[in-house]
Amino acid sequence: MTAPAGRRSGRRVLSWLLALALLGVIGFVVLRDVGGQEPEPPELTVVTGVIGSEKDAFFADQRVRDAFRAHGLELKIDPAGSRQIATTTRLDGYDFAFPSSSPSADKLLAQRPAARTYAPFSSPMAVATFAPIVELLTQAGVVAPGSTTFDVRRYLELAAAGTRWDQLPGNTSFPARKDVLLSTTAPCQSNSAAMYLGIASYVANADGVVTDQTVATQVTPSVQPLFRDQGYLPPTTEVLFEDYLSAGMGRVPMALVYEAQYLAEALSPDPVLPADARLLYPSPTIFSRHTLVPLTPAGDRVGELLTTDPQLATLAAQHGFRPTDPRAFAAAFRDRGLPEPPALVDVVEPPSFDTLEGMLSLLGCTP
Amino acid sequence: MKRIAAAATAVLALVAGCGGGETAGAGPIMGPSDAPVTLRVLAGSELLDLEPVLTQAGEATDVRIQLEPIGTLDGAEAVASGAAETDHDAIWFSSNRYLALQPGAQARLGTAIDIMSSPVVLGLRRPVAERLGWVGRPVTWAEIAAAAGARQFTYGMTDPSASNSGFSAVVAVATALVGAGSALTLEQAESTVPALRDFFAAQTLAAGSSGFLQEAFVRRATGADPGTPVDGLINYESVLQGMNAAGTLPEPLELIRPADGVVTGEYPFTVLAAASPEARDAHRRLAEYLRTPDVQREIAERTHRQPAVPGVVPTPSGTAVELPFPAQADVVEALLTSYFDKLRRPSRTIYVLDTSGSMAGDERIGALQRSLAGLAGADPSLTGQFRRFRGREQVTLLPFNTTPESPQTFTVAEENPAPDRQRIADAGAALLPGGDTAIYDSLQAAFRIAEQQSAADPDRFTSIVLMTDGENTSGADIAAFRAFVGSRPAVPVFCVLFGESSVEEMEEVARLTGGRTFDARTAPLAEVFKEIRGYV
Repeated sequence: MTAPAGRRSGRRVLSWLLALALLGVIGFVVLRDVGGQEPEPPELTVVTGVIGSEKDAFFADQRVRDAFRAHGLELKIDPAGSRQIATTTRLDGYDFAFPSSSPSADKLLAQRPAARTYAPFSSPMAVATFAPIVELLTQAGVVAPGSTTFDVRRYLELAAAGTRWDQLPGNTSFPARKDVLLSTTAPCQSNSAAMYLGIASYVANADGVVTDQTVATQVTPSVQPLFRDQGYLPPTTEVLFEDYLSAGMGRVPMALVYEAQYLAEALSPDPVLPADARLLYPSPTIFSRHTLVPLTPAGDRVGELLTTDPQLATLAAQHGFRPTDPRAFAAAFRDRGLPEPPALVDVVEPPSFDTLEGMLSLLGCTP
Repeated sequence: MKRIAAAATAVLALVAGCGGGETAGAGPIMGPSDAPVTLRVLAGSELLDLEPVLTQAGEATDVRIQLEPIGTLDGAEAVASGAAETDHDAIWFSSNRYLALQPGAQARLGTAIDIMSSPVVLGLRRPVAERLGWVGRPVTWAEIAAAAGARQFTYGMTDPSASNSGFSAVVAVATALVGAGSALTLEQAESTVPALRDFFAAQTLAAGSSGFLQEAFVRRATGADPGTPVDGLINYESVLQGMNAAGTLPEPLELIRPADGVVTGEYPFTVLAAASPEARDAHRRLAEYLRTPDVQREIAERTHRQPAVPGVVPTPSGTAVELPFPAQADVVEALLTSYFDKLRRPSRTIYVLDTSGSMAGDERIGALQRSLAGLAGADPSLTGQFRRFRGREQVTLLPFNTTPESPQTFTVAEENPAPDRQRIADAGAALLPGGDTAIYDSLQAAFRIAEQQSAADPDRFTSIVLMTDGENTSGADIAAFRAFVGSRPAVPVFCVLFGESSVEEMEEVARLTGGRTFDARTAPLAEVFKEIRGYV
């Protein structure tokens, strides 16, 4: 910040001229030497996207970057909460938005009509926890002995009674004076919490998807404490999952995450899952269908590649997502010598965006 | 933004190596998007310890970062009002939790990326921890509160309306002692269970910033400052470990991590929604760099904070319980109000106010009168609300010119404090300028008042605020004061630099008494009076 602006820009022009001249010479030499034998690397188009944070690691993977580069695309990614993407994020300047659920994508589509959307992979909601907690939950009847099924109805009963961990019978492994509560993200901002709202409201509604505002108004008060009693909640699922991984049981005894986040760690060449980490499946659960909404032709190209390129499907599976083609998912586990995660049968649909918004506004979220 | 500029006592600019765009021929040619960018960041003051890491980051990423330190609550107010985004690109505090409670603030925030974390815990001088039997076994906040109530130890903590570490401590202690298994409710936040009063009764050192708190603690521990050494500090675990590592304390601090739970700062590096695409890109580049495993390890080694990226260092023991943090603005406000007006050890402040002839005019005596009125309740801002005169507080106004005038003392009622505050504002409004400037005669008078008041009612924080706009022209001089203060019980004097006051002498008064100076020559006097409230 010392050189006067005039001199500075003069020098810069000179730099650029010199650089261009140098590039010209190099280009001439390269072309003369290899003339025609190798195709020129395609010029990279920079494509920017805003995505649900749980896909951040996938897009940051060098192999994924390379796969897109091979198609001439250089991706720049901002992670954000999915509802934030659908409601508050300024989308000007982005080529695509890639929230984690179809309701959020529907909302985006209403504002930004696109010819088509892409749902290249999905992931069920799951509970990341620890072996001692699984044991306590088994004793409390939330988990059937030896299974990975997390009984949502039984859990909601415990939570509604304000049960604390230190009140669970025979608890010596985690005697915290803290309510038994599944950690979630902030429902006003993040999709995974909204999916949890979908699950909890389904159970509270006598096993029925909430489809209208009248039912939403009846059901929401009983699920509100699940969020309110947790206090401040992390804005994204990525932050929540990182807290689970890096802070241990005391901070996050059990967290509602995307199955993919946990599986990605299990499949990683250097997994950082704690030795006593465990994954449970809520019953019922909801699949989040990661849905890409193109905002420009370049963004559309990203969606198309994610859907059609087999290598990207393989990489998605290695990041724990369930691609539309189940073989890629099975192969990822076979290759690592790990058992394939269960096929889930107790799966329910999320409420529509408008119903979900209705419930969220009852929880105090503003659009 | 004037206030933010004023609060920025130290602006740290970390400059990357020579600009890449100007070095033609050597290295890759950079397009405009990779040109060096300066990211202007409103930040917590404790981040200054990252300076070497950020300098390297600047070289590696071509992103220069300019940290402007500001208190958490002031920062939150600036973001929520939109003032911050006019000249900043990002914020970086130990937590965005307080900010998230401000109406409209969420929409002003872009991507937040956690970089590291540290819980707020209690550090105690080792012999004290041993005497209390707290070494090598789990200790709860309830045990700590019981010992505090029995005055078995003393501690220092930052003002929770100015600094996040104090704020987190209030949340943790209240949540644990109220016995809530979930986030505090409004009724719980308003409650004043005896154990909470016990806990805060042992606080003998307060400060508006964690930097001053640490320094004051060390100076007292080493005898550099008058006053009894304080036994402990509530602060980030990383700060306490850093103090131990620095080796400046006569004896190391034993870290007590309460078994019933802590509140942790997670340092989200957050770009503002209004930032330019270049700034957004720079924020992302810098955050990516800071989260690479090597840099995370270096942060852990240098700053003692836990890395945000899992697996970089061993996971801490699974039993440190994180307490829920209230997510409703009214709960947090009730908690702070209850802390200031009911729980905190009440304070006694003697305002020594220059009313000499040079104070004439609206920008002098007028500013002083408005400052007092602001503290008496006229300032509607969030910070103004928490830093006004508090329930149970004893306030003495000691105006002076050629000689000290007669003092007026007010005790603000715990219930219905407004009429008492109004009386203080009225007394301020009645001040009239004229005469000479007898600084040291007046300060000595203030010390005598403090002694009388302390004898009658010993259990209060006692401090003196000195505001003068000129040099001493009447009565005792600084040498006389130096001799006087050496033989007196310690009372910190917080000096306001204003008009033509002698900086050298004011700094000496602050040093002699364990206080500090505040500069009202470049910031509005009312803001400085408000800032001092964090220390008294």
